Amino acid sequence: MILYTPLSQSDIFPPSDEGFKNRECISYDGKMMIADKNLDGSYQMVQLLSTDPQDFLKFSPGSILN
Amino acid sequence: MNKEQEEKKDEQSNASSLVQKIQSLGQTNVPQAPDSNIHVLSIIGQVEGHVQLPPQNKTTKYEHIIPQLIAIEQNPKIEGVVILLNTVGGDVEAGLALSEMIASMSKPTVSIVLGGGHSIGVPIAVSTDYSFIVPTATMTVHPVRLTGLVIGVPQTFEYLDKMQDRVIQFVVNHSNIKEEVFKDLMFAKGNLTRDIGTNVVGTDAVEHGLIDEVGGVSNAMKKLNELIDNNRGNESQVIQ
Repeated sequence: MILYTPLSQSDIFPPSDEGFKNRECISYDGKMMIADKNLDGSYQMVQLLSTDPQDFLKFSPGSILN
Repeated sequence: MNKEQEEKKDEQSNASSLVQKIQSLGQTNVPQAPDSNIHVLSIIGQVEGHVQLPPQNKTTKYEHIIPQLIAIEQNPKIEGVVILLNTVGGDVEAGLALSEMIASMSKPTVSIVLGGGHSIGVPIAVSTDYSFIVPTATMTVHPVRLTGLVIGVPQTFEYLDKMQDRVIQFVVNHSNIKEEVFKDLMFAKGNLTRDIGTNVVGTDAVEHGLIDEVGGVSNAMKKLNELIDNNRGNESQVIQ
């Protein structure tokens, strides 16, 4: 199927938010980060919101935060 | 099962031996790297404005960036900022807000355009004291446009025209490009498929005066340290 339209893809196929329901903006160890909440209550880091380059050595996306 | 249990036991014994070592050495905390006096701000994905984009999109949210810029400005330990750009553009007003914030900071700022610094990424890139672009990076310069419901009255177009003027004025005031040249790039035909505008590649951006220099991380850090030294010089003069 080829759709020829000026509309954006998200207008035609509304994105499902299923996989992003448990995404939260949290503060961990004094740092702001976006993380997914796991079923066991722990968080898995998605993105670190910091300007300090040293923080990026301490935290890496995908790591589990307790 | 047994293997897994054994592995777990091994891990535990490793951890406890580590604790013992720390106890015997009398230190509990691992030595840390000294705090960096240069902070990094990355403008990635789309610049998000008042409307929240679907969660699949990578976005730079102004409500995250603006307080960080204030924190950088207030923190005496931070002496400079590097802005890393790899953005497709996004909300004009959010982008202009970020650009104005960066431009009005008292601390030295340097930007590096990596990959792409398109549309509203252009004012953000030029808002810093000195800007770099890597040779392979590109910047798309094109007119302002709007998606979604638009009220079809002449005022809407005047509003869009003014918005475009704000972008042009900002870029002209904060870079070495001439207004005519920038407008020529913006309204050029035949460069982009089915659209007007120009895709400016690394060295061309410098030739047009849009970006100060072609270079990467080492050049940017060198320049930033130079600017920080100048800034320190000014500060000591004020104290005397």
